[in-house]
Amino acid sequence: MAAGRKITAKIKKTLPVTGPQAPTLGELMRWYCLNTNTHGCRRIVVSRGRLRRLLWIALTLSAVALILWQCAELVLGYYSASVSVTVRFQKLRFPAVTICNINPYKYSVIKEYLSELDKETRSALESLYGFSEGKPKVRRDAEDRNATAYQYLEKVPLLRFEDLTRKEATDLHSGHKRKIESNIFHKGSTNIGDPQNMIGFQLCDPNNSSDCAVYTFSSGVNAIQEWYKLHYMNIMAQIPLERKVNMGYSADDLLLTCFFDGLSCDTRNFTPFYHPLHGNCYTFNSGENGTILSTSTGGSEYGLQVVLYIEEADYNPFLVTSTGAKIIIHDQNEYPFIEDIGTEIETATATSIGMHFTESRKLSEPYSDCTESGADINVENLYNKTYSLQICLHSCFQKAMVDHCGCAQYAQPLPAGAEYCNYKKHPSWMYCYYKLHEKFVKEQLDCQQKCKEACSFKEWALTTSIAQWPSTASEDWMLRVLSWDKGQKINKMLKKTDLANLMVFYKDLNKRFISENPANSIVILLSNFGGQLGLWMSCSVVCVIEIVEVFFIDSLSIIMRRRWQKTKKWWNSRKAKQSRAPAPGTGPGKQGHDNPACIDEDLPTFNTALRLPLPQENHLPRTPPPNYSTLRLDTTFTEQLPDTLETESR
Amino acid sequence: MLRNNSLCMGQRRDLPVHKSLHEAARHVQACIGGVCCWELLRLLSPELILRREDSHLKGGAAKVEKMPQEESMRQCKQGAQHQQKHEEVPEKAEEKHEGLIEFHNSYRELFQFFCSNTTIHGAIRLVCSKKNKMKTAFWSVLFFLTFGLMYWQFGILYREYFSFPVSLNLNLNSDRLTFPAVTLCTLNPYRYSAVQKELDELDRITHQTLMDMYNYNMSVTQSDWAAQYTHKRSSRSLFHYVQRHPLRRHKRDNPAIVEENNPPVDKSDWKIGFLLCNEKSDDCFHQTYSSGVDAVREWYSFHYINILARMPSTKDLDESNFESFIYACRFNDVTCDKANYTHFHHPIYGNCYTFNDDNSSLWTSSLPGINNGLSLVVRTEQNDFIPLLSTVTGARVMVHNQNEPAFMDDGGFNIRPGIETSISMRKEMTLRLGGSYSDCTEDGKDVPVQNLYLSHYTEQVCIRSCFQLNMVKRCGCAYYFYPLPSGAEYCDYTKHIAWGYCYYKLQAEFKADILGCFRKCRKPCKMTEYHLSAGYSRWPSALSEDWVFHMLSQQNKYNITSKRNGVAKLNIFFEEWKYKTNGESPAFTVVTLLSQLGNQWSLWFGSSVLSVAELAELILDFVVITCILSFRWLRAWHETASTMSPPGGHDNTDFQSEVSGPSTPHRFTVEAVVTTLPSYNSLEQCESNRDAEMGLE
Repeated sequence: MAAGRKITAKIKKTLPVTGPQAPTLGELMRWYCLNTNTHGCRRIVVSRGRLRRLLWIALTLSAVALILWQCAELVLGYYSASVSVTVRFQKLRFPAVTICNINPYKYSVIKEYLSELDKETRSALESLYGFSEGKPKVRRDAEDRNATAYQYLEKVPLLRFEDLTRKEATDLHSGHKRKIESNIFHKGSTNIGDPQNMIGFQLCDPNNSSDCAVYTFSSGVNAIQEWYKLHYMNIMAQIPLERKVNMGYSADDLLLTCFFDGLSCDTRNFTPFYHPLHGNCYTFNSGENGTILSTSTGGSEYGLQVVLYIEEADYNPFLVTSTGAKIIIHDQNEYPFIEDIGTEIETATATSIGMHFTESRKLSEPYSDCTESGADINVENLYNKTYSLQICLHSCFQKAMVDHCGCAQYAQPLPAGAEYCNYKKHPSWMYCYYKLHEKFVKEQLDCQQKCKEACSFKEWALTTSIAQWPSTASEDWMLRVLSWDKGQKINKMLKKTDLANLMVFYKDLNKRFISENPANSIVILLSNFGGQLGLWMSCSVVCVIEIVEVFFIDSLSIIMRRRWQKTKKWWNSRKAKQSRAPAPGTGPGKQGHDNPACIDEDLPTFNTALRLPLPQENHLPRTPPPNYSTLRLDTTFTEQLPDTLETESR
Repeated sequence: MLRNNSLCMGQRRDLPVHKSLHEAARHVQACIGGVCCWELLRLLSPELILRREDSHLKGGAAKVEKMPQEESMRQCKQGAQHQQKHEEVPEKAEEKHEGLIEFHNSYRELFQFFCSNTTIHGAIRLVCSKKNKMKTAFWSVLFFLTFGLMYWQFGILYREYFSFPVSLNLNLNSDRLTFPAVTLCTLNPYRYSAVQKELDELDRITHQTLMDMYNYNMSVTQSDWAAQYTHKRSSRSLFHYVQRHPLRRHKRDNPAIVEENNPPVDKSDWKIGFLLCNEKSDDCFHQTYSSGVDAVREWYSFHYINILARMPSTKDLDESNFESFIYACRFNDVTCDKANYTHFHHPIYGNCYTFNDDNSSLWTSSLPGINNGLSLVVRTEQNDFIPLLSTVTGARVMVHNQNEPAFMDDGGFNIRPGIETSISMRKEMTLRLGGSYSDCTEDGKDVPVQNLYLSHYTEQVCIRSCFQLNMVKRCGCAYYFYPLPSGAEYCDYTKHIAWGYCYYKLQAEFKADILGCFRKCRKPCKMTEYHLSAGYSRWPSALSEDWVFHMLSQQNKYNITSKRNGVAKLNIFFEEWKYKTNGESPAFTVVTLLSQLGNQWSLWFGSSVLSVAELAELILDFVVITCILSFRWLRAWHETASTMSPPGGHDNTDFQSEVSGPSTPHRFTVEAVVTTLPSYNSLEQCESNRDAEMGLE
């Protein structure tokens, strides 16, 4: 019994741990309002008059609401970024410049692979438009017609559509009409020119011949080129890489002169780079040998100056229709997407390209949805270069291609374990590719969702200007000297339409650096919080802690205590039915026990010290000034508790 | 009283340190602001000393001796408080009947209540330390100083806010971009053969003038128009009007004298121009050009406009044959069709085709790059151009936003024949905030210029509309190149004789911004720009030339006269998906302003909006109490006046009777208020006493 009492006493002592030990919630609130530093509260208690009090309650509550609203606004606006633009004059690293001839392979060399295809193309042109390049060829064609079957035209026949509504087409090769039962995909819905002139081709699923897609083109030029390209890719996919590199232009072929930063340079400064569609390209300043060149000053004199030899006579007539070179300016770590965003260089002109360098950096999560390194993107980077959105999209498409069609598209790098499509092995790949590409365009492949942009990127804004080159006065000697330079390999004069002069230079050495910075720091946020709290209620963090303490911990403890008392009362009253005698004994007995325990355990804090005037308190309960230090008052209440309890129970 | 004393003693034994520390803590908590710092220092220093003594001595007695003065103070305080308490006890029951609004009985009570309960720092000191004159002065100086400082800071903050600062933010977005509208013009307004009939006489006069001035015989279609010349001789009208504006050349130094052609004079001394006069021909000036080519072209187009304006409908003249201009069209590897373009006719640039103008089905590139853009093969043949009007060959292309009119002379790009032009685009958007932040307009509705174009608002649209409206107002007719306002007609010198004079005058004013067009037309808040850069390559290549031309001639009935100059290829594509958005965001929002104000307020006064409400309440109370008191006084005076009793003696009794009567609740409230006070008051007094003590020491 004694042990139990001790425990209950201990519990009682420890239960109201801190703060005011007011007996009721009302008292607690009153205490809080009188003592808190938060403005408004005190007025609620102190004001006289119901309306006045109500007004103050409303004011205080609205101040609290305003604080919450404004702070929420601050938090919501926290993740905003501000942009700083710095323009710095510094020695700039020269970017990598990749130069390609528009024509991928020397036609004279690659002819052996393409002769069959070219022959068929010519015959198609002849039957379509009555075009022939000369009599001897026609004769040869006539001879060949009997001998060999047209394997390419057979595979993907070129069709002429008389009337699209009738779904009838003429096979150009055999000449007889065939019915198009399949759903017509024809790219571009309605015809523009004469219905007779609609040219297209049909791609069928070999397993299911009724599942076909027909592609029509408004212009025969486009149709022929597209058709040719389709077969060309098939053929090229079968040729081993070394052979293809050998068939392309060597650096000595392409580059006649080279000047950089006022100093002469040569082919050793160029790194070869093989591009599936453009053949051999050469990258100046690729940084492969570890050094990256930089220019000492801006201006065309101090940039890269090259004269390119574009051998127009050795061009593939069907694959490429324009003459010139393509260049792209990119960072050393970037992959040159030359077929997409390369700039063309015209022959017989001097093209000067002025650059302006801008570097941008974005903030990644949570400020914006971009990726730092691309490592968090669920798409394998097939290119051996740093991540960019383009790389991601191409890789994603290639991956889907391998998954769906079983082979890889020729224009993009090969994923591990896959091989390029050719219709010897993959007879249905073309159909599959066109379908897939359509899906890709319509964003059904999910690539656009998967790929995120990179957070930092460099760009070179280009300004192009062109001039006639060489001038009529200088043409003579210049061509003669260049021909001599070119050496004895070609014992002929160069023509000016075979040459292109290119200058790439920094317009100025100012680097524009655009970077995003967090607009808010935690310090600013906190100080703004402080401002809001101070403005409306003159509150502080301590006030907030106080509120938490009073409204949650203390109120809860009071409620708990109340509960405990009630149950105890109930228990007592049940016990009292048996005997009323022990009830009065509990109060003093407990007090007697309580005090020594306090003395034993506690240091003389003010809690214990305040117990001294207690005996007098019993006589005159209201003597201690309750409003002075309410803490004192509250302690007295706890001590009183058993007494009040008893009186209540009685 | 004795009990009280002992209680005080008991308290004193161990309380002071805690109490005062507690107070100190409260002060620290409350006064992080500027005012309290001094106070805090003062408060803390004696306490710390006290505490040290306490810990040394451990006994209470020594300390009681040490501070008898304070002790006695406290006792008396407690005593007084106690007495009040005693008085209060019986009234407690009645206190529950609280009035709706209760007022204080006197100003003194009101101020006492206010200064003991207010939360404005410094105010307490100011009023409650009134016992000490020095202190009051000191505190009032401090109070007003901080008050001034705070309002100075407030002023700075307000000025910053109302200057509406914006911070530039630059977003680097990447989306699938919708392709912009692309307008392509033939650079030839009409087929020469179609309009020759109308232009015949003008051409003849021009030829004559050229012959006279430059000895140049333009004998292209000599026989042709010579034949017509004879039978059209009767219609002298045009000749008459053309003669009003003769093309002349004169020496630079004396431009007024009209010279006869004088070949031996050095060419650079001459200026070419034409005469423009007002209706009465009393005010004339020469529109002069340094180059004869410019002068002849300008002069010719001036007359050309007049002729066009007279023609009833130009629609039947323009040849909107899509296929004869655009031979091949692809977008994103898909063939374009009729649904993808709209046609309009421009009087200078000819037939213009706008691709991707239809808002319902806009093109989007699947990828950036040349294969996923727009690719066109266009005819640039020049055999049927109007020789004096079109001096350029090729085609003109412009990239613009949908819903924006294509101003070909503003943002065009010429395409060379025989060349493949690859134009790469970079998109850039500018978003301004509008409102009071920057001077821009959302949709142009708030711009005082009527939009004559059937398109969205742009700055160019506005400026042109503004000029046209001014033209109609000043010259009575509309300029032919701009759209017609309702109720106006195009200028034509058969009807409006002096419009040329008026036009050139107006244009000079327009350029000097006397018309105010540039001021009136504000920038749109949302602008999209496309930065173009071009690459060129020779097309078709020598080897593919044959079959390409052959196919074009077969398919498009293209008769090759001058092979290379007859066609051009054009590619327009996005260079990248990234695009920049130059945005603005308010640098100083209401939320930050409030935060800053709160910061300042807390710093100097530790007060809040609620403190202001307290002040407002004080003022209201003050007014009400004044009313009540004056009302009472009035009534009292009235009553005394009615009873005719001596005013001095009666006043007091009256007051008393009133107090006992209706104003009993007032009394209670006063007492109730007083009961709550001591906690503060006593403290203040004690403190002030202590302060005094310190001062003594």
